[in-house]
Amino acid sequence: MTSPIIIPSLEAILGADKLTELDYAATGCHVRAEAVPEQMPAVAAAMLEQKFYLASLTALDLVESLELVYHFASFYQLCRLVVHAPLAKGAAAPTISHVYPGADWFEREVFEMFGITFAGHPNLKNLILPEDADFHPLLKDFVASS
Amino acid sequence: MMLEKGIEEKTFYLNLGPQHPATHGVLRVVLEMDGEFIANSEPIIGYGHRAHEKMAELRTYQQYLPNMGRVDYLHALAYNQCYCMAVEKLTGIQVPERAEFIRVITSELNRISSHLLWFGAYLLDLGAFTPFLYCFDDREHILDLLDRITGSRLTYCFYRFGGVPVDVDEEFIAGTRAFISRLRSRWNDYDTLVTKNVIFINRTRDVGIMTPEQALKYGVTGPNLRGSGIPYDIRKSEPFSVYPLFDFEIPLGERGDVLDRYVVRLQEMEQSLRIIEQALDKLPEGPIMAEKVPKRLKPPEGEVYTAVETARGEFGIYLVSKGDVKPYRLKLRVPCFSNLSVMPELFQDVMVADAVAILGSLDLVIPDIDR
Repeated sequence: MTSPIIIPSLEAILGADKLTELDYAATGCHVRAEAVPEQMPAVAAAMLEQKFYLASLTALDLVESLELVYHFASFYQLCRLVVHAPLAKGAAAPTISHVYPGADWFEREVFEMFGITFAGHPNLKNLILPEDADFHPLLKDFVASS
Repeated sequence: MMLEKGIEEKTFYLNLGPQHPATHGVLRVVLEMDGEFIANSEPIIGYGHRAHEKMAELRTYQQYLPNMGRVDYLHALAYNQCYCMAVEKLTGIQVPERAEFIRVITSELNRISSHLLWFGAYLLDLGAFTPFLYCFDDREHILDLLDRITGSRLTYCFYRFGGVPVDVDEEFIAGTRAFISRLRSRWNDYDTLVTKNVIFINRTRDVGIMTPEQALKYGVTGPNLRGSGIPYDIRKSEPFSVYPLFDFEIPLGERGDVLDRYVVRLQEMEQSLRIIEQALDKLPEGPIMAEKVPKRLKPPEGEVYTAVETARGEFGIYLVSKGDVKPYRLKLRVPCFSNLSVMPELFQDVMVADAVAILGSLDLVIPDIDR
């Protein structure tokens, strides 16, 4: 089921060894890519060119480091791509909101929930949390009272 | 204050919400007005944030099930289904066919009840009171049917990992068949009352046009996307459950305006009726729960993404497991989040009177956005 179209354009940006074909039935995605955050604007531009939409953008707190996770999908063919972009704590990632304006809100949410800054974002402020909230609830060291 | 683009001193700010009957939840939109026209707009969200994603990391897989009825409470069963699918995929649980049929029947009934509520509330926004009484009358029958087998009328928590806990009985099947013919007999009323009403058409035609390019760049899905003519419905494009067994169509709009989005939702209800009808005809015998689903669920390490088509578009769950009894990370990709983020583009340079007509046509559920 893997789309032949997206692989070459991503290979040109990331290199062939960064792409893995996944078992769709087990993972819900067709292709997994490893990227560094600096490559994401180019990846996003390549995906938009193939008429993929940004389904989701989120992050993972791996305690030692962070990881940005992008999900792309297409309206026209069954193909889901997941891109993992590891990031050191305290580092900034470039924005992709100039490519996908829909990423604007996703990045603001990652900013407030994980404390990740997106360089070049036009309006990086809290989205869901109160505007003066200075904590990052989805970090593992944030203790919630349940 | 909120907006930075300010064109000239002659503009002023207007707050739509957070307490406004047409926002259907606590949504605030800051409008920068140039006379009667909207120069800029910015939605302010988060008033209903309940930290559903953080809660997932603090609860076991089973304990998190009731949360799924409370994100988009109007199509709760689709959210139930997506979460169950994610966990089933991760653990390799096979769902019996009869359970899948029951999931489809109940989820489609829930979709119709959601569209009916939108239909009534939206026309109320536009100033038409009577359709609201018609569709709530119809919707009540669905709530009664689902109440019988799920035990709730709104925030359903009915599906379990591996199937469903309660089987449907003859009374439910007969009641559902009666409801199908009842609702079909009502389409004519709906059409003469609203769809062919010249006041309604003039109010909605060519208002709030969303182009396919805008939809793509903002990740808009669901009837809002199909109103712009793109045939993307996850039930067809990425078939899950037993949807491939049924014959149904994807209604499409042409212009992407408010009227197209209205027509798409109305026609989708008929398609849902077709799915339910076929599912009742083909309903197989057999178990409703998978055997040997462990009480203490501990999925192996890994990650999974599942998506379903809800009444509002693509709902996706990105679930990461580290082999613990609790999810390591659970991201809820909710349709209304992306569907609202496109709104400032649709509001650009329209008259404030159209703002409510456009906002309502996006069928937003605000707690779905805030999570």
